[in-house]
Amino acid sequence: METIVCEVSKSFKQQQVLNQISLTIEAGRIFCLLGASGSGKTTLLRIMMGAIPADGGSVTIGGIAVPNRQLLALIGYMPQNEALYEELSVWENLKFFSGLQRLNWKTFAAEAEVLLQIVDMAACKNKLVRDCSGGMKKRISLAVALIHKPKLLLLDEPTVGVDPVLRRKIWLYLKQLRNQGTTILVTTHVMDEVSQCDDAALLRNGHIIAKDTVKNLIDQTPDGNIEELFFMDKHPEKEVISC
Amino acid sequence: MLSIIKRILGQMKNDKRSLGLLLFAPLLILTLLFFILGDSNYIPQIAVYDMNEKFVAELENHATVILETEKPEAADYLEANDVDALIWADSAGTHIELLEKNSKSVAALEAIQDTTQALQPTQNELIVDYVYETAGDNQLDSLSYVFLGVISFFFVFILSGMSFVRERFGQTLERMLMTPIRRVDVIGGYTLGYGLLAAVQSVVIILYAVYVLQLQVEGSVALCTFVMILMAFSAVSVGALVSIFANNELQLVQFIPVIIIPQIFFSGLIPIDTIPFGLGNLCYLTPIYYGCTALEMIMIQGKGVVEIWPWLAGSVVFIGVLFLANVTALKKYRRL
Repeated sequence: METIVCEVSKSFKQQQVLNQISLTIEAGRIFCLLGASGSGKTTLLRIMMGAIPADGGSVTIGGIAVPNRQLLALIGYMPQNEALYEELSVWENLKFFSGLQRLNWKTFAAEAEVLLQIVDMAACKNKLVRDCSGGMKKRISLAVALIHKPKLLLLDEPTVGVDPVLRRKIWLYLKQLRNQGTTILVTTHVMDEVSQCDDAALLRNGHIIAKDTVKNLIDQTPDGNIEELFFMDKHPEKEVISC
Repeated sequence: MLSIIKRILGQMKNDKRSLGLLLFAPLLILTLLFFILGDSNYIPQIAVYDMNEKFVAELENHATVILETEKPEAADYLEANDVDALIWADSAGTHIELLEKNSKSVAALEAIQDTTQALQPTQNELIVDYVYETAGDNQLDSLSYVFLGVISFFFVFILSGMSFVRERFGQTLERMLMTPIRRVDVIGGYTLGYGLLAAVQSVVIILYAVYVLQLQVEGSVALCTFVMILMAFSAVSVGALVSIFANNELQLVQFIPVIIIPQIFFSGLIPIDTIPFGLGNLCYLTPIYYGCTALEMIMIQGKGVVEIWPWLAGSVVFIGVLFLANVTALKKYRRL
């Protein structure tokens, strides 16, 4: 689904976190939102889902204005921290969130088995989440976000703490989803993840300082290192110190 | 909504210790209270001056009797000798001097009443005097309903408040709200899920109190249970509401005295019409007031549904108002 963010601003207390952000995420692409920690990536994601109101501006997803409750059935959200129920097993967590999405039991069971294979958790699906390691929780959380086959995936730093082998596996699966028409938005501050994505936008000091296909962005840099883009800011502003 | 209920029960199933605390900790406290406040078979010490022999002989069956040959000064005498009551007779009637109202003086009075009854009611009037007069009439053993109500409310309040705070800070609440679920369903699921656990707790407490501790219930035990369940539901809602104002677990714990202690004042421990400056009217804002008053009417006065319905209705209205407040408060986490 095409997602259009139009002149969204947000400030917490005195600090302007997002300043008139405009962004179009084309359908069927993997879009990477790149920025340092504290640059407002998560805030932008929250505004896009309608969790928090923006101070100004608007968001439309697939032509529907946010916030819209029915729209949430089409969105899969994976928050930065795990946000799982520690006292429940892996399977029960999936079951609970699928229940909220009103999946019937059969669809759920089939889908859950597939997803647990992909995130490599099938063997310990009856394990309680509190007994799982940090990386395992991350994978379960990803499975939860995918359980209802969303059309738009919002993943907040999805591969932090996941080992390289599994990370590759997850990226392969995400690309497979994209090929089936899912739009995926990934936030990250890890630069090498960007190369997996189709498009990228760089968020800095509340502005989008660059937005293009990943290929074009890399071409703009002198040495093919996308990190360079942060130093090529065309509108350098006084650094906002955010603490 | 059903998903949330199932999830809450599943969480509890996998967290045996919390479940155990919910169900058995109240029983432990009640048992302790029972022994502290209950009938300890205390034999009162009663001093007698110039009473007929028949009376003294009969009184000895009920109390330890100390015969005095001179009429002592009541206040000093009772205090100095650790005697509970002093009896003497004159033309006005039989005088009974007691130190203050407590469980010992109640025991002494009972012994004297038993004695006079055994000897057939004397023409002499019983004149009871206390050295230290205290306001109100509280005899602790008639306050069982206060403890039943407060204890069950307390545990349920902590359970629901804590789980809501944890849900907010683990961001599972946000995640839950990022699905098409309605806010009404979230609060409904929460209230019913924890309400169900609380209802089980209420049933366990009341059965234990009535059949193991042999607590006196004049009216219907089933009606008592129903009132307790209503109270438990309001405790779940109060817990959820308070958790909104707490920014972490510590703050929720700090809210406990703010929320629970005033409720104890209005639970019937202190007669509400004796509270000055109209502060007694605050009782209408405390859910425990409705529950405990209804419990008092059933357990002590043996009343039925017909008499207690205003308080039941009060409880239900309270739960409804809290429910709406909670649904509105969730707007903070999702705009719709």
